[in-house]
Amino acid sequence: MHWLSKKRYIAGLLLPTLVVYTLYIIAPIFIALYYSFTRYSGIGMAKFVGLTNYQRLFSDTTFWISVRNTVIILLVDFLLLLVAAFLVAMLLNNSLKYNGLCKALIFSPAIIAPIIVGIIWVYILDPEVGVLNGILDAIGLTGMKQQWIGGKTLSPYSIAVIYFWQQLGYIVTIYIAGLKMLPEEVLEAARVDGASPVQKVLYIIIPMIRTTISTVAVLIITGVFKIFEIVQQTTGGGPNHMSETLVTYSYSTTFTNGEYGYGMSLATITFVFSIIIVGLYQVAARRGEEKEG
Amino acid sequence: MMSRRKRMLMYFGMIAVTVITVFPFLWMIILSFKTNSEIMLSPLSMPDSINFDNYVHALDTLNYRQLYLNTFTICMVSIVAELVITFLSSFVLARMDFGKHLKQLIYGYLILGLSISPFILLFPVYKINLLLGLKEKYGLIMPYIATSISFNTLLLVGYLKALPREIDEAALVDGCTLWQLIGRVILPMTKPVIATVVIFNVLYIWNEYPFASVMLRDIGSYTLSMGASFFKGKFSVDYGAIIASSIMIIIPELVFYGLFQKNIVDGMTAGAVKG
Repeated sequence: MHWLSKKRYIAGLLLPTLVVYTLYIIAPIFIALYYSFTRYSGIGMAKFVGLTNYQRLFSDTTFWISVRNTVIILLVDFLLLLVAAFLVAMLLNNSLKYNGLCKALIFSPAIIAPIIVGIIWVYILDPEVGVLNGILDAIGLTGMKQQWIGGKTLSPYSIAVIYFWQQLGYIVTIYIAGLKMLPEEVLEAARVDGASPVQKVLYIIIPMIRTTISTVAVLIITGVFKIFEIVQQTTGGGPNHMSETLVTYSYSTTFTNGEYGYGMSLATITFVFSIIIVGLYQVAARRGEEKEG
Repeated sequence: MMSRRKRMLMYFGMIAVTVITVFPFLWMIILSFKTNSEIMLSPLSMPDSINFDNYVHALDTLNYRQLYLNTFTICMVSIVAELVITFLSSFVLARMDFGKHLKQLIYGYLILGLSISPFILLFPVYKINLLLGLKEKYGLIMPYIATSISFNTLLLVGYLKALPREIDEAALVDGCTLWQLIGRVILPMTKPVIATVVIFNVLYIWNEYPFASVMLRDIGSYTLSMGASFFKGKFSVDYGAIIASSIMIIIPELVFYGLFQKNIVDGMTAGAVKG
C-alpha cells in the first residue's frame, strides 16, 4: 500500500474539512465563552467584567421567565412526542391501502421552513384572525375562546403544540423504523399466549424498542433547544418578554439590544443546559436499563 | 387477518391524523384568496371569489426571482464545496491507513458538531466573517459548509467503510493514482449516499433562517426564508401578502419533497438514528 498510507496525502485531504470545521464550529464556542465574560456593545473593545454577566442572570426576571417557558415546552413536547407520536406510529405501522400516502403527508410539516410553520400557525391560533377561536365561536363555545398566542399564559403551550405538529411525522417515522425491527415470532408468541393488546405494548413492544425511545427522547430535547422561528413569528417573545424562550431571549439580547456580552452569557448557559439535560436523561436511561438487567 | 371492524377503525384513525396534519396547509391556500379585510373581519368565511390580488401584491413588493436565485446560488456553492471537502476527508477516515486512535479521535471531533446548537454560533460566526471580510451572501456560505460537516462525515464515512477493501487493492495493482481511485472508482459507487447528503443539505439551506437573519442586511441578497418574514412590518401586518408569499415558498418545497421523499426521509432519520 503506497499512497493509501502516505502521510502527506492523509494530512492534505483532511485539512480543508478540519480547518473550516474548527474555525466555524469549534472556535465560535470559545469566542462565545470569551464574550460572555465581557461587556461589549459592538463599538470599540470588549471590556472584561469577569462573572458579572452570570451574576446578572440570577436577578434577571426575563431570564427566569424564559427558563420556565423552555421547561414548559420541553415537558409538553416530551409528553406529546414521546407518547402521542408512539401511538400514531402504532396506528400507522400497518399495511393498509394509502398507508404510504398518509405517512408522507404526516411527515410533510417537518420539511418546510420553520419560519413558515410559525406563519401558518398564526392564522390558526391568533385570537382575532385565527381559525380556532372562529370555530369555537361558530359552534357556540365562545366561552372557550382563549388568547392562544400573544397572551400572558398560553403561549409556551401553544408553541409546544406547533412544534409537535412540525415534528410528529418525523418522530413517527423513527418509531416505525424501530417497530419494524421487532421479531415477528415474539409478537406471535405473545398473541398465542393470550396477551391483551395493552399487555403486548407495555411488556413486549416498549421494552424491546428501548433504544428507539432513547433516540426519540434525545431528539426532543435537542430539538426543543432549537425552537426559534416559531416563537419569533407567533409572539416575537412578547408581550413584554412573557413568551421568551432561552434561545429567543439570547437572540434578542444579542442582536436586537446589542448587548453582546450578556447575550453570549445567555447563549452559553442555554448550550450548557441542553447538554446537561441530555446527559441527565442518558444517565437515567442507563440506570433504568441496569435495574432491569 | 384483521377483522373488518378493526380495519375500519384503523382507516378512520389514519385518515383523521392525516387530515388534522394537513389542515393548516389547506387553510393557508383558502386564506390566500381572501382579501385582508375578509381575513380580519370574518376569519371563518370562504373567500367571496378566487382572486389573486395577494399574490400580485406579494410579487410586486418582493422580487421572488431574486430570492430564489440567491438561495439557489448559496445552495450550489455551499454544497459543491462541502461535498468536495467532506468526501475527501471521509475517504481518508474510512479507507486510508494511519494511527487507529488518531483516526477515531478526528472522527469523534468531526461528529461532535451534531450536538452543537447553531444559536451559540451566530454572533461568533458574524464576528469571524467580519474579520475575514465576508459579507451578505458570502457570509452564509462558510457557516453552511461548516454546519454540514458533522452530518456528511457521519453518513459518508459509514458508507465508505462498507465498500470492500479489495477495490482499493485492485486499483492499486492496476496502477491507479489516488485521484483516479477516488474520482473514477469510489465516487461513482457512492452515488446513493451522495444523493441523500445533497438533498438533505438543499433542504437545510432552503429553510435556514437564524444565520440568514444575522448575516443578510441588504434586501438584494435576501434568501427565501428572509423573504417569508418580510411582510411582517413593525407597524402593520399585511396578512394576505404574508400568506401568498409563504405559499410561493412552500409549494416548490412540497414538490421537491414529493420528488425526493425517500432521500429526504432517509437523510433526516439517518442523522437521528446513527447520531
